[in-house]
Amino acid sequence: MEGTPQAPVISTQALTKRYGSVPALTDLSIDVAAGEIFGFLGPNGAGKSTTIRTLLGFLHPTSGSASVLGRDVEADSVEIRRLTGYLPGGIALYDSLTGEQALDYLGDLQGREPHRRAELCDRLELPTAVLKRRVRDYSRGMRQKIGVVQALQHDPELAILDEPTEGLDPLMQQAFYRILDDLRAEGRTVFFSSHVLSEVERLCDRVAIIRAGHLMAVHDVSELLARRRRRVMIRWRGGAPEPDSLPGLEDVQVHGSRVHGTLTGEVAEFVRAIASPSLEDLTIEPASLEEAFLEYYAEPDDVPTAAGPVEAEQ
Amino acid sequence: MNGRLFRQTLRWQRARLLIVLLAAIGWGVLIPVVYTAFSDVMRDLANSGAIPSELLNVGSGSLFTLPGAITLGLQHPLAIAMIGIFAVGTSSTAIAGERARGTLEVLLARPISRNTLYTSILVALLLAVLLVLSAIVGAMVGTSIGLGVAEELDLGRLPLVVLNGFGLWAAFTTFGLAASVSFDRPGPAIGLTLAWLLIHYFLEILGSLWTDAAWTQDYSLLHHFDPGAILAGDVRPLDFVIVFAAAIIPIVYALFVFPRRDLAAPA
Repeated sequence: MEGTPQAPVISTQALTKRYGSVPALTDLSIDVAAGEIFGFLGPNGAGKSTTIRTLLGFLHPTSGSASVLGRDVEADSVEIRRLTGYLPGGIALYDSLTGEQALDYLGDLQGREPHRRAELCDRLELPTAVLKRRVRDYSRGMRQKIGVVQALQHDPELAILDEPTEGLDPLMQQAFYRILDDLRAEGRTVFFSSHVLSEVERLCDRVAIIRAGHLMAVHDVSELLARRRRRVMIRWRGGAPEPDSLPGLEDVQVHGSRVHGTLTGEVAEFVRAIASPSLEDLTIEPASLEEAFLEYYAEPDDVPTAAGPVEAEQ
Repeated sequence: MNGRLFRQTLRWQRARLLIVLLAAIGWGVLIPVVYTAFSDVMRDLANSGAIPSELLNVGSGSLFTLPGAITLGLQHPLAIAMIGIFAVGTSSTAIAGERARGTLEVLLARPISRNTLYTSILVALLLAVLLVLSAIVGAMVGTSIGLGVAEELDLGRLPLVVLNGFGLWAAFTTFGLAASVSFDRPGPAIGLTLAWLLIHYFLEILGSLWTDAAWTQDYSLLHHFDPGAILAGDVRPLDFVIVFAAAIIPIVYALFVFPRRDLAAPA
């Protein structure tokens, strides 16, 4: 691995990018540690791709600085790209080449042996017969699989993936998740942007949430999951108890013998508290991060100023 | 310069290059044949005064002499179109086209600097231009030898003809590639490069047809490539300086501008 264990693999300090007077990214400061899978979330146009393109040297920061694998993104962009695997969003490939030729070409240009290609092709179900076909004949999902292979075939120290599961069917998404799990187990670092909250929940150690070019928050996913809110429906024989006797339940609505509410916190503790012979039915919907994230996605007028506080738990 | 990128750029162009080379050889064979068949008739026609001699010229070329015919063959719209396929068409779309398709992003995700990418494509395109130019000149000379009229040519000056022609077309190629690094879409780059070529062609033709406007030819890069004059022993170093300067300026521009451009996500 490049860099020391303490040094962040990706570090940005007040990174700002403007197109003329239009701000695309404002004072972004994040650190991505070695060996973690870091999710980068935000709605369309939030600045996710701008951040990634700045890290790879496609865009020049207006102000602030960033480093990848200990190297400055402005001064050492070529070396950063040597050590990095990148999957662009909606990847475009050379239609006249076969899948195999495209991988050979991009692998040659990378200048590193494509050690992982066979394994990745196997796991993503890209047999030789498919690789011999021209890219122009590929479906979107097939192109995306080639995109994943080209990004990871040289076993990069850092993978930067822009919406990597777009176009992949559910089976291939699972295969892709397992690939990322293995990368993490090997100590590789993955930085990926996504809209898909379930995959962020499934994969990421930490997430950054960005909106309108501003960093809204950086969270440990495990912590978010602990704080997640679940929808609860309880039915009692006879009348419902007083809402105050239901610990942890918020937004309580009572309809006869039924109570609806939102549970924050530990389920076991709540179940113990409400357990009684008169309890007839209990439904707790599976929790997801969606609601937690939607709090950040919503309210576009509430974007903090450049100097404003950011809730970061790093 | 990246060898893999250079080879692949040529590989993308191989079918097109093969077809253009065949056409160029065909054109190069045709010119001496036409010269031997029609030069006397054309000369008599010009001497009779029935048609003004200006109308019997194309730019600085004519069918009155073999060197003049070679100049005509290299300034003819067909020759310009053949060489222009690479010097204008391919050069102006090379990088802007990759950008519009989204493949530039995949390329630049490799450890390749933008200047390395530019240089690799430039060298490949200049080689293609040189091959087409050499095919035309080679076919003209070979056919002249075959027809027994080569004594009208000073064959020892042929390398200078190729060098001067290469400088001329390198100027358009580097202009096209400079336009290509400047735009996110190939359309404006093609338009600008084609306009640049047409302006020079217009100035050259205008001066050759209208003697009062002969001064306009000095402002045409095409006028600074006169194979007939070189083959007749009139080598003008300034022509070489002008065409090579015109080739180098866009290179300097592109090497400065391309690394500094922002490459936002393709639409």
